Amino acid sequence: MSDTEHPYVEWIAREAKRPVELDRGARDRVMAAVRAEGAHRSITPARRRWSKLLEPRVFRLSPALTTLAAAGLVGIGVLAGGLKNWGVRKDGRPLVDTATQSPVPLQTTDTVVKFVFAGPRASTVSLVGDFNGWDTTKTPMARDPRSGTWSVALPLNAGRHVYAFVVDGTTWANDPSAPLAPDDGFGHASSVKNVPGPTL
Amino acid sequence: MTLRKEGWVIEKDMSDDAADVQRVLAGDVDAYAALVDRYYDRCARFAVRMLGNRDDAEDALQATFLRAYRALNRYQERDRFSAWLYRILVNQCRSIAARRAHRERVFVREEALLLNAPDRSRSWSGEDEEFVQRVLAELDPLLREAFLLKYIEEMSYEEMSALTGVGVSALKMRVKRACDRLRDRWERIKDE
Repeated sequence: MSDTEHPYVEWIAREAKRPVELDRGARDRVMAAVRAEGAHRSITPARRRWSKLLEPRVFRLSPALTTLAAAGLVGIGVLAGGLKNWGVRKDGRPLVDTATQSPVPLQTTDTVVKFVFAGPRASTVSLVGDFNGWDTTKTPMARDPRSGTWSVALPLNAGRHVYAFVVDGTTWANDPSAPLAPDDGFGHASSVKNVPGPTL
Repeated sequence: MTLRKEGWVIEKDMSDDAADVQRVLAGDVDAYAALVDRYYDRCARFAVRMLGNRDDAEDALQATFLRAYRALNRYQERDRFSAWLYRILVNQCRSIAARRAHRERVFVREEALLLNAPDRSRSWSGEDEEFVQRVLAELDPLLREAFLLKYIEEMSYEEMSALTGVGVSALKMRVKRACDRLRDRWERIKDE
């Protein structure tokens, strides 16, 4: 600690080391946002090994081997073409029922956007929008007891997002601090958030 | 179990971390709450000291824990979870500070700063905290970051280097300069 031997520097370091308390809802909001992400898919040791095998690698082939590999790929393509109806039902639907498969979220950028709603008398407030399928259960907002405001922070892709707040599970409200989107056809005036791309 | 430096690294924590990470990766979202609880306060202190206000610190924490959650399957168990998490936090703080500078936002003094000041000592008051924040804010961000990691988080230079990607000698220089600036500040104000 030779650098801090000066009493003033030591005092600053000691004082800065004191704990900091954020409001109690902040930690809850972290977990609310994490839950909105959904569960990780189960990763077993076998699956981890399989993933390792599928990692992209670079192979160096001699010209002769390259020719052979190209010929092999052409053969595989011909075979696959012959079996193009494999995995498809007679009625043309795929054998795998895609409707029951959980979608894998595609998130390329993730600017965290904080939504705030002033509703001191509300019992519950949730955020709905195109980013969560307008599901009133997916993104609950947390109440700050001091200010009576509700907030949640979400990672959103860059672009235009339409959203609204749902108060007490039934009343839809727009965000007075944001521009309005045209009527969505269901009688709700929604708000618009334009998320810029990452600045760094 | 070995305890080092104000509980920052505890072997038990490391084994708990590994177990919690495995549970999260197996689909147990609630297990992540244990990791958040274990590291939230330490991360909050660094973020507030680094960014100087609670709103930005809260945003940094939110982004840090979210990014860590998303990237958890890329976390290598040979690394300490705390160091990996801190690396994300430091980057988030840098990003937020850069965005803030870019927007040239003007912060109004927060009432919350006083309301939230911990009352653990009679000599500690919201004014003290505000003063320390102001002194830290006067430091260049890279000097402030190095000073906080060294003397508030009590990391070794090797740990700091692994975390920031900056060489040990450069980090030593930054810490020294930070301390020099603070000493210079004292020389300026002591006679006022």
